[in-house]
Parts: sequence; C-alpha cells; structure tokens
Amino acid sequence: MNGACAGCPVRAAGCGGKLELIALLGNPNSGKTTIFNALTGLHQKVGNYPGITVDKRTGRLELGAGSVEVLDLPGTYSLVAASPDEQIVANVLRGQRSGMRPPDVLVAVIDASNLARNLYLVSQLLDLKRPLVVALNMTDVAERRQQPVDARGLARALGCQVVPVVGHRRTGIEDLRLAIAAAAPAPAPSYPLPPPMLQRERRLAALLANELTWKPLEGFHTFPRSGSAGQSPASPSLTWKPLEGFHTFPRSGSAGQSPASPSRLDQATAGSLARRLLIGDPSPELAPLRRQAGVSAELQSALAELRDLGLDPMQADIEARYHWIDDVVASAVAVRVGARRTRSEALDRILVHRAWGLFIFAALMAGLFISVFWAARPMASGVQGGLALIAQAVTARIPGGPLHDLLRDGIFAGVGAVLTFVPQVAILFLLLALLEDSGYLARAAFLMDRVLGRVGLHGKSFVPLLSCFACAIPGILAARTIENRRERLTTIFVAPFMSCSARLPVYALLIAVCFSGLGAVAQGFVLLALYLSGIIAAALTALVIRRRTDPAKSSPFILEMPAYKIPQPSQVAWQAWTHTRSFVTRAGTTIFGLSVLLWALFYYPRLPAAAAAQHPAPAQRAAAQVEHSLAGRFGHAIEPALRPLGYDWRMGVGLVGAFAAREVFVSTLGITYSVADAGQHVESLGRAMQRDRRPDGRPVWTVATALSLMVWFVLAMQCLSTLVVVRRETGGWRWPAAQVLFMNGLAYSLALVCHRAVVGLWGG
Amino acid sequence: MPRSPMGKNLTTLAFLAEAQPARVEAVQGETETRRRLLEMGICPGVTVELVHRAPLGDPCAFRVRGYLLSLRREQARLVTVSTEKAAA
Repeated sequence: MNGACAGCPVRAAGCGGKLELIALLGNPNSGKTTIFNALTGLHQKVGNYPGITVDKRTGRLELGAGSVEVLDLPGTYSLVAASPDEQIVANVLRGQRSGMRPPDVLVAVIDASNLARNLYLVSQLLDLKRPLVVALNMTDVAERRQQPVDARGLARALGCQVVPVVGHRRTGIEDLRLAIAAAAPAPAPSYPLPPPMLQRERRLAALLANELTWKPLEGFHTFPRSGSAGQSPASPSLTWKPLEGFHTFPRSGSAGQSPASPSRLDQATAGSLARRLLIGDPSPELAPLRRQAGVSAELQSALAELRDLGLDPMQADIEARYHWIDDVVASAVAVRVGARRTRSEALDRILVHRAWGLFIFAALMAGLFISVFWAARPMASGVQGGLALIAQAVTARIPGGPLHDLLRDGIFAGVGAVLTFVPQVAILFLLLALLEDSGYLARAAFLMDRVLGRVGLHGKSFVPLLSCFACAIPGILAARTIENRRERLTTIFVAPFMSCSARLPVYALLIAVCFSGLGAVAQGFVLLALYLSGIIAAALTALVIRRRTDPAKSSPFILEMPAYKIPQPSQVAWQAWTHTRSFVTRAGTTIFGLSVLLWALFYYPRLPAAAAAQHPAPAQRAAAQVEHSLAGRFGHAIEPALRPLGYDWRMGVGLVGAFAAREVFVSTLGITYSVADAGQHVESLGRAMQRDRRPDGRPVWTVATALSLMVWFVLAMQCLSTLVVVRRETGGWRWPAAQVLFMNGLAYSLALVCHRAVVGLWGG
Repeated sequence: MPRSPMGKNLTTLAFLAEAQPARVEAVQGETETRRRLLEMGICPGVTVELVHRAPLGDPCAFRVRGYLLSLRREQARLVTVSTEKAAA
C-alpha cells in the first residue's frame, strides 16, 4: 500500500489505496511549469479542457511501483475564481469537471521570495483537507534577499510537508517525489473568524445538512423533506451535477456504509458549503443551492444581520486568512536585515523609467517585430523551397491530369500554406517566452496600458497586436498571454484590422497602378495612411465593444509585476516547441483542408477540350479556365454587388482567391489578365491592368476603384487561416462569424462610400 | 484633505506620493474587484508604498507584502489609505 494512503480516510470510502492523479498548482509566476517539467521530463501531453480554450497539460511521473499522471493546472491566485482559468482549477480540485477524477495529491508550488501572497492559495487548499505537499520554490532568490525561509518551521506551521526546491536547477526534485508518495491530508488551518459570522455559518450549515443528502462518490441531490411529498419526485427542487469520484471524509460511523447509498451531508462538508455561500463564492455549482428557497432565505437573513453588525463575510474571511498567514510567515522567516532594495527594483528604476523605459521598450518591440516580419522570411522561403523540390520530385513521376494538379497545386500548396506560418509562430513564441519568463512582459503591459486601456484593451494586448502587422495568425495566438477573457476576446476581434504582411503586395500593386502619377514620397504616404486606417478601425471597434458590454463586468487591471529572472533556455525552447506543435496539429490541419478546397474551386469544372483549343497560349488557357471554374462563375455572379464599389468580375475572382491568403489576390488577378507568374512580373500585370477598358472605353482601374479596393483590403476579414485560428482560440464559430459579418460589412459600406465620394468629387 | 481622528491624513492609493508608506484603511468597489484586491493582499492594516508610475501617469506599481502589484487609477481609487505626514 502506498504511503499516501496511511492517514487518508478516503481509503475507507473505497479509494483502493491507488495514487493515480497528482495536480500541480500555484500562483502565476511561482515557477510551477519549471517544476512540472522537472517532475515529468519529456513525458508530456497538451490537450484542452472541453468547451473552453485553456490548455490542459499532463505528464507522467515515475513513482516507486509505477507511474502516475501529473496535471499542470493553470496559474491561479485563489479558489474563488475570477477567470475561466481559475474556475477550471477550482472545479478540478472539487471534482466538478465531468469526466475528470479529482486529484489524489495536490502539490502547491509557492514562491519563497513572495511567501505571504503565495500562502493565500495554500490556506484555501488546506481547507479542502486533501493530501497536500508544498514545493517551496525559488529558495535561492529568498536567500539572496537575506530572507531565507525555514522549510521545517513552515511545515510545522502549515501541518503538511514542505520541500525546498529550486526549479530551474532541479534541486530538491527527488525529495519532492518522495514527499508526493508519502503525502497525507493536512489539518485545516485555524484562523479566527468573527464570532457572529461563525454563528451564522453554523446556522446555515445545519440547514444545509437537513436539506441535502450526500452520496459519496456520486454527488448531492435533494433530500425530499416530509412536507414536500406532494412534489413530483421527478423534479427535485435541487439537483447537483454528479460529483464523480468526489471524496469527502465520511464520519467515523458511516465508514461501513455502501458508497452508493445516500447519507446526510456530513458536518464538515455542510460547514464548507455554508462558508462558501456566505463569502459569495460565484462558483457555478453553488447556484442551484442559492436558488433553493429555504437556503436562499436563510442566507439573505444571515447576510443582512452581518451587514447590520458592520461585517462583510467576504472581507472577514480574507482578512482572517492573512492574519493566519502573518503568523505562519513569522514562524518561518527570520528577517535578517531590513528590506533592502532588490535587484529587481533597481532594474525597474531603468526599465519602467518614463524616458529610458520607453526607449528600451521601443527598441525591444522593434527587435521583436523585425524578427517576426523579416527573420521568419528566409526560413519560410527555405521551407517552401525544400517543399517545392519534394513536390517536383513527386509530381514528375505522375502523368499530367487532375491527380498531378491536385498534388502540385492543392496538396503541396496547402502544406506550404501551413508551413509559411510556422517560422513566424515559432519565432514569436520563442520571444514571448523570453519576455514572459524574464518578467518583462508585465512591464511592457505596465508601460502600454494607459494607451490601450483607453479603448478597452489591456496593456498585454500590445505584443499580440504588434505581431499582427507581420501576420494575424501568430498575433492571435499570442493573445493567450492576456489572462482576462473580455480583453483577450476584444484583442482577437480587432487583430485582423492590423495590416499584415500579406496585404503589402496588394497595396503595392494598387498604388503602382492607380497612383503612378504621384512621386515616391506621396506614394509612401498613401501606404502609411492605409496602415493608420487599420489601427484607427481597430481602436474604434474596441471602443464600441467596450461601450456595448456591461460596464459592471469590466475587468479590473490588477497585475502582478514579478521579480526579474534570467529565462531558462530549455524552458523557452520547450514553450516555443509546444505552441508551434499545437498550431500545426490543431489549426494547421484545418487550414490545409480549406486550401485544398479553395484549389478545387478554381480547378473545377474543367474547361471543355473544344474551348481550350481556342486558346493556344498557356496563359490565355489558364485565364479561360479560371473564368470557367466555380470561382470564376462566382466572380461573375457577385459582379452586380461589386459594381457599386467600382469592381468587375476579375476583382471578384481575385477576392475569392484572397481568402487563401491576401497576396493571392495579385497572382489570381495575374491569371485572369493572362499574365504568367504575376507574382514575379508585377510590372507586366500593372501594364495589363492600366490598359484594361470597360465596354464604354473608360479605364477599369481608376483612382476611385483603387481607393475603394484599398479600403476593402484594410478592413475586410478575408483570411481563412485567421478564421480557423480565431475559432480555435475562442472555442467556437461565434467569434469568427461575427468578424466576417462585422468587418466585411464595414469594409463593403466604407468602400462604397469611398468610391461614390471620389467619383462624385472628381468624376469617374 | 480630511483628517482621521488619529490625526493622520486620509487619501486613496490614486493620490499617494512616491516613497510615502501608507496604511490601508478600507477597500471599496464592486464585489469582484474588491475581492481580488483583498485577495492580492491589500487588506486593512497592511502597508503599501507607491514604487513606480507608468510614463503617462497610469497605471501605478505598489509594493505590498513584499511584492510589486500594478493597478490602474480606476482601481487605486478604491483603496483608502492613511499616511503619517502630509502627502505632497
């Protein structure tokens, strides 16, 4: 039998003495992931929690007889959740996530150099009365600050095992393993709550014990009171989701009971439920309890009485925990010297300085942007070149025909479409990991928050939005660093307004064709105006979203600025690797499928042989084929809708092609103008466009048309890959669909206004 | 500036001068914000000090319980503090 079971009453409830699942949890910036990596090595998986886009990391730990699963829970400050991530932690620990058993042992990673705040979560974990081990991390930092933590003193004060570790040096990991194997439930902390609150809590607990029954391993359900016999038994007034595998400690007398038979709610469980109701825990599993008439009445009267006494249970609970924490800290930390200025504070004097800080920030961000924008290019073209060689080698063995074309232009081009994003995603996540692990990301947010906060974004929106100027895909993925859901979604929603590098060839072509009369400087200003319009559109949209959402739900900006650390190369590389891999496997597959589908739209139906024979030149045949294809027919079909904007069917076809990637607009247009390889021969395409005439002899490509097309390209959501990634990151089609409707609606109306205005002012 | 009975100056974190230690007296605001401020260690009785102001004056970073926490003016306003001397 495992040592973990020696003192564990769960064994009596039929746990079987097997240690199967360990949960690792702790505050953000506590170094939890480093410990997770040290414990599990490379045996890791990244999945996600169903219905919510939070990464679920699991790994395996060799523990004596066999291996056990280790779950790396999202960083959390409290079990009274303030975000979906924190709600997951609370739910998993209480066995409230369906399909997931609650962990057998909790490992709390705490930062020794920030002991008090980290112990707050520990005080809540102790309340759960589950086997708990505290991993005291960053003991080296605490020692350097002349505030070493006495692990034994801390263990005595907490009543559970405390293992000093230094995650990045992997010291103490073996001890931690042994401690996990021998983990036992710790006693709940005794912190003095105001007596009137305790009295109301006991009253409420007694009521709950009467109202509810408790089925070990299955869950709560209503206990029909004798008075409610007339009620339909099929609709109990109170139903709780089954708490699969949820362990509470049965009272000593009930150990012999069958696990399935309902018993009265035990004292401890009733007490903890009463406490959570009193302090206003917003956890969804408590909602049915609050709705129950008896409980609700008792709760309301208790709260009213306490209010009259000037007591707020929520505040009293938090204050009592911190009083307890102060005692625990006093028994574990002997302050050797008075608070010295730490290295971190000295660094901050420069890094958040109003002049130096901004200068360094600008330099770092410029470096980040250049890396994603330029450094990724040679890598991407190297990958593309390699892929082209493979494609050639493979397709050379296959005779010409649909299969040959599918392989060359569909499959390999689709793989290429995914691979172009990979260097950008990898580089951005490498740099993000560096910024985050060093502690600088919080400073960047601190410096930029004033500007972004005005329009309802967050300081942390800056890096993702900046990355979007290279490509929206890595930018939207980078929005994961924004903990707050509302601001994260707003950032993702407005991200595609940033002019990405794929729009640049389109802008360049349109400027060259329709503003050829302007000088280079004036053409540069047109380009700048296009980038600025995107930024303005993003800011205004974010502002509208903020106005439209409930201001009461507006999220506060309460951001910890962690101490600076030297990032660990292995951690940084590992983070970049897992994010890139998850992009390829989850978004990449869909992007690939859609690019093959788009290829088919341009390929089928095939031009009849007789019609093809009329066009001996390959470029002309290609043009005829595209006009004959589904995409070409679609271009003709939507021409009436595009005419008010000044576009013809060729532009319509180009817009369909642009859904693969915006720069495809240029090559598609090239095909329709029978210009071979338009990507390389932009000048000949430009000349063909300038020569093009409408039936009445006026030029097709006027300033009005170009401006209206530019407005369209700045504002429209027409990138399938972006939509796929937004769906992945927001957990459904709702947000991408809203983006398509809103952005394309806006793009259409403003392009229309723009075309009308130019035609009206200067004539067609 | 109002004076509390003990002869201390009462203000909020939004109006605290740099390097002027202050004692938290009360935390206001709607429940969720107040809860998170308290949970992050800003409880009545604790000492808070303004350490950095962002270049545009907002947000501000405070030292509380040995770590650095940044708050927007909007949240800093919710924390009533008392200082020993007259704040600048």
